[in-house]
Amino acid sequence: MPKHGIVPAGTVRFLAFAALVFIIGAAFTAVEPRFLSTQNISAVTRHMAANGLAALGLTLVVIVRKFDLSFAGTACFSAMTIGFMIAGGHDLWLCIMAGVLAAAIVGAFNGIAISYFGLPDIVTTIATGSIAGGLAFLYSQGRTIFRNFVTSGILDLNDARLFGYSASFFFLIALYAVAWVFMHRTRYGASFHATGENPVSAYFSGVPTRTYTMMAFIICAITSVFAVVLILAESGTADTNKGATLLMPAYAGVFLGAALLGGTSVLATLAGTLLITMLLDGFSLLGVPYYYSDGVVSAILLTGVVLFDARVRQLFSDLASFIQPVTSASEKRS
Amino acid sequence: MTDVISTHAVAERRHSKAINRIIGRYWLVATLLVMIAVFAFLKPQLLDNSNIATILRSSALMAIMILGLTWVIAAGKIDVSFMQIAALGNMTTAWLLASGSGWALAATCGVAVGAVAGLLNGTLIAILGIPPLIVTIATGGICASIAAALGKGTSIRIADAGLLGDLLFTNWGPVPVIAVIAALFYLISWYAQEKLTFGHYIFALAQNEKAVNEAGIAARSLLLFLFVFSGICSAIAGVLLAASLSSGQPMIGSSYFIDGLTAVLLGGLMLRIGKPNVLGTTTAVLLLSVLVSGSAMVGWADYQRQIVKGVLLLVGVAVAMQFGHRSSSPIQGA
Repeated sequence: MPKHGIVPAGTVRFLAFAALVFIIGAAFTAVEPRFLSTQNISAVTRHMAANGLAALGLTLVVIVRKFDLSFAGTACFSAMTIGFMIAGGHDLWLCIMAGVLAAAIVGAFNGIAISYFGLPDIVTTIATGSIAGGLAFLYSQGRTIFRNFVTSGILDLNDARLFGYSASFFFLIALYAVAWVFMHRTRYGASFHATGENPVSAYFSGVPTRTYTMMAFIICAITSVFAVVLILAESGTADTNKGATLLMPAYAGVFLGAALLGGTSVLATLAGTLLITMLLDGFSLLGVPYYYSDGVVSAILLTGVVLFDARVRQLFSDLASFIQPVTSASEKRS
Repeated sequence: MTDVISTHAVAERRHSKAINRIIGRYWLVATLLVMIAVFAFLKPQLLDNSNIATILRSSALMAIMILGLTWVIAAGKIDVSFMQIAALGNMTTAWLLASGSGWALAATCGVAVGAVAGLLNGTLIAILGIPPLIVTIATGGICASIAAALGKGTSIRIADAGLLGDLLFTNWGPVPVIAVIAALFYLISWYAQEKLTFGHYIFALAQNEKAVNEAGIAARSLLLFLFVFSGICSAIAGVLLAASLSSGQPMIGSSYFIDGLTAVLLGGLMLRIGKPNVLGTTTAVLLLSVLVSGSAMVGWADYQRQIVKGVLLLVGVAVAMQFGHRSSSPIQGA
């Protein structure tokens, strides 16, 4: 499926995406002029950082054609780990490293179980997510941790500004740039794609497919820690459900982006995350009750996938034959 | 290539394979018995008539909810919207009762919204061929949103639990009537699954959807039916929960998510290894209910139970992989 490299289709898709961003932005501004205020744009960029970081790791997992439903639970676990370390009075970088390590262990467990022992991905990640979510309660029996948060300096991560915008946004952009170069311009990235497209031929081409699958799960766990650090920095407390909100926007970002730009890629995820964050932020600005936002995101994800999926099938007829076995088989025969 | 390897392996280790098969087929029943014995030894109250009735009642509700899910997963798809459909059915019933309609109308509408949600899932997955995980994450989000919106974010009280409430709390000795009804449902489903071609088609779908189509079976209609059936089952459970709790609870879904999937997948690891089936689901539901009841008596916290469930799921998958005859995953996910 040569999705990359077809220039006209890509341009059309990019223009469609830009138009969509413009329309959504204009619609929100028309209803609520504060949408374009510096304060709100700063908030959008900050929220986008958390959602985008979680979605980045998930992108890699989706590229190797697996699913990870555990990263939200993993994020809760490492959030409490970080909170526990901060309450213990350790240096901030050490606390975050501990969180990263905790998540990496869960991620490595997922990766090893799925790639080396061949366990089914969805079942395994649901189980490890459940275990990690339970382990999050161990540090404080489920109580909120907030001791030493003010003095630890984690709040500065939220308040740090570069050119008027939060530093976390620039961290997001930098990480996406690195990820883009890595995934789309190096042979390692190509190996990730090959592992997803056809693991058997990738394996016989000398790609250690199992290692790549495992790496995808580890990276997914680690990026969700980065995301949860930003959430901790914003709220100033560590709760056992701090990472649970990451799941929906991350999936929506990855798959909406993939639908819009015609394939899972780092840039597609960034685009999807931008759209989702704009929508979520716009609705909360309008004072729409919290319980509508999930539904709206879901509805948009579904519409995006359906609408753009139909066009994908027209543009790539071979993909269509893949999705619609009956018609293609009869056509080929006649 | 896989065929050659597996037949070779089977011929070589037929004897040890037979023992493995027996362990693989019945370990779940053994675990259930051991668990009952251990908890009954620690806390003899577990086997009180009233407690048995409580265990069976909660098992029956759970079993009804995931009957359809069992077949969806057996067909190689996944449905993560079942608990939110139950929540929507639950809230629709409560909302209609609160606005003055009778139980008959409210319950019918509650089940009908489940059928509609299932139809939406089925259409998108079976007819349009969109990955089931994405579709059901999205429809689940939409259902949860509508459910919460019906009650403006909080629960709705029901003044009179009606006939269904009487039915739910009527016991024959230690056996609630609803458990008998659920058992009948499962008996009929077992017959359909094992004795009718319908059941063979479900398992065939998981193996090779294209081949099922080529064999002249309307695979899409079957898949569509499975999703509608799953929606209806979940919604019936939701309506029953409304009567059982005398209220509509918008957040009821989240507590059933892990349990439902754990039950189906654990159940898929007995009898027909790697293939979810109704008898396996029944055993697994009982196992989880005994675990919940027993661990509450012993004094475990909620999160400890969550960890145990996760470990149980992981061990179950690993055991099935070890002793099972197939090494491929029960769920294809995408």
